[in-house]
Parts: sequence; structure tokens; C-alpha cells
Amino acid sequence: MVSEEGQLYTMEGVAAGIIMLLAAYIAVSTTGIYTTGDTHIPDMQLEQLGSDVLAMMDTPDTAGDSKSDLENFVNTNNGDEFKKMFLSYCNATTSGDLDNLHMSAVVVYRSGGEIREHQFVAPDDNTWTGRENAVRVTRWVQLPTTRPAGMPTDMPNDRPKAVLVEVLLWRA
Amino acid sequence: MRADDGVMSLDFLAGFTIFLLALIMVVSMVPGLLAGLGSSSIDYDAVAYRTGVILVEDPGWPVYPPWEMNADPDEIERMGFSVSRETPNVLLSTKIERFFDSGFTAGDYRSKAIFGDYPYSYNISIRSLDGAYQNSTGEPLPPGHGYGYIRRVVKIKEPGVANIDDRFASQYAIPNPGAPEWNSTVRNFTVQLNFSKLLDPERDPAYRIDPRTEPVRVNIDFAQYCTDSSGATLQNVTFWKKDPTRPNARFTRIPFSYDEENADLYTLHTDGVPRSLAPGAPVKSSISLVLKPAATSQFTLDQNSILDIRFTFEDETPHTNITGIHHYDYNTTNVALPALQPAVLEVAIW
Repeated sequence: MVSEEGQLYTMEGVAAGIIMLLAAYIAVSTTGIYTTGDTHIPDMQLEQLGSDVLAMMDTPDTAGDSKSDLENFVNTNNGDEFKKMFLSYCNATTSGDLDNLHMSAVVVYRSGGEIREHQFVAPDDNTWTGRENAVRVTRWVQLPTTRPAGMPTDMPNDRPKAVLVEVLLWRA
Repeated sequence: MRADDGVMSLDFLAGFTIFLLALIMVVSMVPGLLAGLGSSSIDYDAVAYRTGVILVEDPGWPVYPPWEMNADPDEIERMGFSVSRETPNVLLSTKIERFFDSGFTAGDYRSKAIFGDYPYSYNISIRSLDGAYQNSTGEPLPPGHGYGYIRRVVKIKEPGVANIDDRFASQYAIPNPGAPEWNSTVRNFTVQLNFSKLLDPERDPAYRIDPRTEPVRVNIDFAQYCTDSSGATLQNVTFWKKDPTRPNARFTRIPFSYDEENADLYTLHTDGVPRSLAPGAPVKSSISLVLKPAATSQFTLDQNSILDIRFTFEDETPHTNITGIHHYDYNTTNVALPALQPAVLEVAIW
């Protein structure tokens, strides 16, 4: 014959078990878990924005302009104006507050058999990337035979050259 | 007495139930915890990105005549702003203006720009950095960050304009009152568009003058050509075309409803007053003509055609000394092409 001992304890156990499971389920479902499937989205958005900005800076405003703004800035080693225009395009929104993006940039060039970097725009002080990753966007720029003033002296001065403008972009 | 053999104990039943419940919950939570690919925010971001690409990198469909000239939204398949496929992020002002005008419903935007299986809510907006463009359509953004989003940086291409001002005072005036043309009662002044030069494939589409997709704008500072304070009578403005590839090519007048004002096809202002193309009214100070692509598309022109816009003045005693042909071309003196305007476009989907 089945004993009736312990039946009360079983019911308590059932109730406690259900309560624990419900509590765990509610806790898990109300917490946003940032998974590997999500992380590429802000990266992609930022990368697309940075690529757009470089492409637009490399599009002359009129057909009569022999050089784009990007080419002019690199040809004159004018990192300050480059940064100003880049951030003004990057942070612009259609309404409300401006975005809060930060950047640094280097010009990558070939010297002899080596790949060298020239710091074009130094990063801001005291800016942190926060939760999102920084992204890298690039654009090739043609430079004339004569090395632009201010560029490193090991940059070739005897042939036209293509340099890579590499921008690191992050949201603070 | 009934035997107890085979009777399931309550302990076993409770334990098995808890186990099954736990198993169901774990199985249902695992995909959400690890992958997250089914979450709505990712879908929203993907749809926003796709919409951004369609608007910014695609000229839309149909191309010729372009979708923005279709008055009937049902004939539009896809709405894109790009000047051409070769020029992503360079947008045509006429496409932007058409997109944000009031002629479209939410369903049109969903079926011709968003292309979602689900009736998404949306907000699409554009602003040029100089403030000249500030448009948006759709619903206000929901609070928080519960929507998919993409921002694109673009440049806006605006149509050129031929300003015939004092720089041309001597060029288009009959110099010698003794010349034979001075005796005629009729004065013709022509603005000529040579499509084979304008549509030269070598020219970057971002800086191309294309009357098939953009308005042709002509402003004449007429006071300098008036020889009488009462003004000269502008009898009509007519369109003539020539196809130089044909034998015995000559200009023929294009049939058109010249005496009907139609702002969808053209606007003509004389001294600031709107007119039809056959005003028969005196002009003292200014003539302003905007010939819209919807009209040009009716002229059956091809890439070899030459289009003449002919301004005809007639008085018993001539009151103007204007004459000659103004070439609507890439000479920056003849046609001023505005610089591309940097702008930002945002798409939000939820």
C-alpha cells in the first residue's frame, strides 16, 4: 500500500520549484543580453557612416575642382581641417542634438620596402570608446611626385604615390 | 480489496512534472540566449540599412522617364535618390523633392522604398548642412532605442541655371542700328541645348546637365535689352528640335500646348507675373523660364538632338535689340552649376 507520509512535503516542493523557475525565467527574460549576434550592428552602422564621410570628402563639389577636399587636406598635410570637416559630416543629424563621435587618423605610405604610418590627426584626450568598438575606415589618395610639406621625410619624393588615409572612429 | 500494484506514486508524478516544465523552459530560452538572431531589433536594423541603401545608392525605377516624373504612384516600382548607379551618395534634388511631397501614402513608402513583409513604422528624414533641405516623412520616433536605424552622409546635386545678365549685354544686343535685322519687327533670342554635348558619357554623372531628369532654368535680365520704357512684347516662347544625324536636318517646331499654363511642365514669369508660353504681353525687366523634365520627356529627344528654346518678341516698332543664341552647356559663364551640397539622411524603422 502506498504510504501517505511525505505527501505534504511533495506539494511544498512542487510550489517552491515552480516559484524558483518562474523567478529565474523572469530574471533572464528581462535582462538584455548582448550577444555575439548583435555586436556587428553598431560596428556596421559606424563603418558605413565613416565610409560615406570619406567618400563624400573625396567628391569635389563642382566639376571644375581639380581636387577633392580629402586630396587637398592630405596634399597640404592639414589634419586640423580634415578633422573639422570629417566630424562635422559624421556628427550631423537631421534633427535634435549632434552625435558624439570621435576620430583619429593616420596616413599609411610605402617607404622602400616598408609600410610606414604618419599621424595625421591625433586622438582626443580623455575620450573612451565606451561599450561599442572603434571601427576603421580607409580611402586611397593620390599624391604628386613632390612630397607635401609636413609629411615625413622618408616618404618618396621622386614618384607619384598612393597613400592610404586610415581613420579610427568611435562613439564616446 | 483492490491491489496497489501499478499505481503511480504522487512523488513520481510531481518530480516528472517539474522535470518536464524545466526542460520546456530551458529549450525555449536557449536560442534566445545564444543567437539573438530572431530579435526584432536586428530585423529593424537590417530593414533600415536596406532602405538606406535603396534611397542613397539607387536611382530608382523606372529610369527614363525617371520615377519622380510619374504622377501616378502605381507606375513607380522603386524610389531611389541617387543621380545614377555610378554615383552612390550623390542625390538628385528633384527626386528628393518628389519623395517628400504629399503625393505618397504610407503604403507607397512601404512598397517602394522599405520593401518589408511586415507593415513597419518608419521615419525617413534628410537635412542639408546649409539648411536648404529639411524634409521628413513617417511617424515620430518612438521613445528609447527600440527602432532600427541607419545614417548616411550624402551630397545633393541641384540643377544649373543660365543667368543672362549684364555679362552678356553686348553679346546678345544688335550692335548697329543700321544693320538689316534692326529693320525687322521680330526679334528672336534662342537658348540652345545640344544633347550630344550635354549627355557626353565621358562626363561624370554627378556634374552632368541632364534635361531629361532636371529642370532647365533660364533667367534673362531683360532691362538691358529694352530700348523703350514701355517694354517689348514677348509674343511666345516656342520649342524647336533638330536631329543632326538625319539627312537634311533642320529645326522643326515641337507641337505643345503653348497657351496653357501648366506648372507640372513649365513655369514662365515675365516681370514676376506668371504667364503661359504665349503671353503676348510687354516685358520690361525680367523673364524667367523653368522647363521641367516632364515637358522635355514629351519632346521625344535622344542623345543626338538639339533643342532650341526660342523667345520671340514682336512690336510694330521694335522695342528690344536682343538677338543671338545662348548655349546651355558646361561653360560656367553660360550656365551656373551649383556646388554639391553635403547633407545627412536618416532612416528609422520599428
